[in-house]
Amino acid sequence: MSARRRVAITGVGLVTPAGLDVASTWARVQSARSCAGPISIFDASGFSTRIAAEVKGFDSLPPIDDAKLLKYASRAHRFALAAADQAIADAGIRPTDADATRWACMVGAGMMTVAHEEIAAVQKSCAPNGDMEPDRLFDEPVAKDIMAFSRSLSTAGIGLLLRRYGIRGYASTVHTACASGGQAVGAAMRLIRRGVADRVLTGGFDSMISPVGLSGFCLLSAVSPDNDHPERASRPFDLTRNGFLLGEGAGFLVLEEWESAVKRGAHIYAEIAGDGNSLSSYRITDSHPSGDGPIQAMRRAIADAGASIDDIDYLNAHGTSTPMNDRSECAAVNAVFGDQAMRVGVSSTKSVMGHLIAAAGAVEAAICALSIRDSLMPPNANLQQLDPDCNVNVVRDVPRPQRLRMALSNSLGFGGSNSCLAFRHPEETAALIAAGR
Amino acid sequence: MSRIVITGTGAICGAGATPAEICQNLEAGHSGVAPIEAWDATNWPCHVASTVKDYNGGKLLGDRKLLKLVRRSDVFGIYAGDQAIAQSGISAKRESLPETEAAAYADQTGCYVGSGGGAFEVNYDYFPLMVEAAGSLNTFGKELGNMVNPMWLLRSLPNNVLCHISIRHQLKGPNGCITNHTTSGLLSIIDSAWALREGDAQRVVSISHDAPIEPQTLQYLDQVGLVTQSNVLRPFDQRHDGCLLGEGAGAMVLETEASAAARGATILGEYLGGADMAEGESLFGVRPDGDGLARAIEAALHDAGLQAAEVGMVVAHGNGTPGSDASEAAALSRVFGSDMPPVTGFKWAAGHLFAAAGMLDAVVGFEAMRRRVVPGIANFEKAASGCEFINVSATAQVPRSDVVLIVSRGFAGTNAAVLLRAIDFVS
Repeated sequence: MSARRRVAITGVGLVTPAGLDVASTWARVQSARSCAGPISIFDASGFSTRIAAEVKGFDSLPPIDDAKLLKYASRAHRFALAAADQAIADAGIRPTDADATRWACMVGAGMMTVAHEEIAAVQKSCAPNGDMEPDRLFDEPVAKDIMAFSRSLSTAGIGLLLRRYGIRGYASTVHTACASGGQAVGAAMRLIRRGVADRVLTGGFDSMISPVGLSGFCLLSAVSPDNDHPERASRPFDLTRNGFLLGEGAGFLVLEEWESAVKRGAHIYAEIAGDGNSLSSYRITDSHPSGDGPIQAMRRAIADAGASIDDIDYLNAHGTSTPMNDRSECAAVNAVFGDQAMRVGVSSTKSVMGHLIAAAGAVEAAICALSIRDSLMPPNANLQQLDPDCNVNVVRDVPRPQRLRMALSNSLGFGGSNSCLAFRHPEETAALIAAGR
Repeated sequence: MSRIVITGTGAICGAGATPAEICQNLEAGHSGVAPIEAWDATNWPCHVASTVKDYNGGKLLGDRKLLKLVRRSDVFGIYAGDQAIAQSGISAKRESLPETEAAAYADQTGCYVGSGGGAFEVNYDYFPLMVEAAGSLNTFGKELGNMVNPMWLLRSLPNNVLCHISIRHQLKGPNGCITNHTTSGLLSIIDSAWALREGDAQRVVSISHDAPIEPQTLQYLDQVGLVTQSNVLRPFDQRHDGCLLGEGAGAMVLETEASAAARGATILGEYLGGADMAEGESLFGVRPDGDGLARAIEAALHDAGLQAAEVGMVVAHGNGTPGSDASEAAALSRVFGSDMPPVTGFKWAAGHLFAAAGMLDAVVGFEAMRRRVVPGIANFEKAASGCEFINVSATAQVPRSDVVLIVSRGFAGTNAAVLLRAIDFVS
């Protein structure tokens, strides 16, 4: 059997609370300054949590050059289109008539698909007493608006992307809550490895900063209620952490079969080398305090990459800043790395940009690619007092310069799905290939 | 590459509550389509759907407490998954193992689910709160905790079936939840098969479920022009005028030959190959020439190492809309030419199950192939223009081999195809 096809990251695009593109997001992440603030996009004054990390200034961005398509795009879809445009431009390659069937698209999409104004309009005219009276839908403009319908579909985002770039190969949308983005990028890598596609546009997009979206997390007390100190609200691994900070945005990557990327002289950020995937099968919202579940995902990613724990220098943690997640994840780090655990730098970039939910794993994959390119570990903001139950080597406050041979990114979701991706420095990959591996 | 075998199936829909029952109803020409029960649809242009009969969530789940944490669609998924797992015996085997072996067994058992989510109905839970708030978001926020179920978000997760079936059966291996609307079902099978091919799992439970019979969905589909006005779904027939809604789930257990042999499981058949192709042109429409679907079928045949002539029957998407039917017929003609195997479809009886459609078609098509029968499309009379050459019949036909091709198409111009081989269950 011939050697397994390797996969290169050749394009990156980001729209996040930390910035509207890769450069601004990356600079803000390195500054370790939180993007949290009072919610401005709707009146959150009555909610128990009134803070979030919003994408700011997005409406002033030059829109993509397809006004018609934008009418079919929700807020999260517009993030996706902007980030995907960046990634395609960065890679310097796009589908042509000749190779469009060898391009795939694999995305992690958020679960909230209907805009609040539309829910409110339908309620007002069709459920005046709280119960839906279906015949009233006949006269409700929102319920007759095909564009509103299109935006509401779980395939709305991928439909826009397929059409914009003329992608004609494998296309799939996944959702495993907070693991969505990581699982999408991992699945995209596998499409190339399997020979199903040669290039994949992959990423995640989400915005749950809306009345119903925020409600879901407030009802579960999953978000930090630190309304008076928003910039301190997301503090992964800190003893006083009390919930996550809701973010929004999109991250996209262009993945290419390694040899063809090398052949065309593409800039390669990193090899995406391993995908580990597991189920905690424990509780809906938590994995076991022992780390069972995340442990298997990390071990599988390392094994899938043909690596060992000795090769890993950095972990971009899921690190939500909820009491249970961080404890279980750190237990997993210690179980996987054993006496090497303290050698591995760990940070959660959610400390700066909050939790982008279905987009998180894809954005953090991009962050890992940038970390490898620039030989530095991005910092973990807001850690004042390390929780003794989070006994890992946190990269505190400032970036830690170090050439990274390999990095991992964890995404652990409600529902028990765990994703771990493994990234390798392109020089390390080149050396492995030269050695015939 | 070792074979990927199928050792259990499960299904529930308006046309029956097990794969065998659904198959028997199709063969007898019994449709599950009836007046919509979810609301009084008397005044609606389309007032019928294929609804699961005598729904009892607690009974289907076998766990009344769990009912508080899941939705109707999830109940179908867990129920179908339980059926398939019980038939395969994979959980019974794990329970018989000593603790450390059981843990390793769980780690090598994966799960892929196709899920529709439920775009509109989940938001209706907020309507009473919105009445109370009367347009004030401040009041909305303040009264939230008093008026909305604290478990709302967890009940609404699209990946609920993945979560609960994995807890119930200790599935801890590779997993995914595909929310790609109508191709989700077949994509969940394709993902499952790859997890086995790549050695990441020894067993995978593949499930797809959906419950889209809700008024806002129906009205939107009607606005797009996809819903039957005659209240009959007639795939490929000259009187075809649109689709109607169904609900339910399908499931199958796929595993490596070695895993099945280790517990002496009965092998029902095998997975041969699958593929997915987008058209990359339209958000709702399909190309008239069926290009994406033809490429998906050709890629699936290539993946399976089969020639078109080896396909014994086709379970078509057959959603009864003129545009989809004609382009699907064009794709089948491109692939099979004049050498057309018998073609059928099940949506005339089961409605369109959206995210679960491809999986239901796969499970029921597989069951029909085990019986060596191609169930007819009972309401088929005369082929629509462009659909004359695809070998559809109102009465049962005989498959020309043991290989069944299932195809599924969705919004965004997406197309999936899967090939299965079924072992004759009488022999």
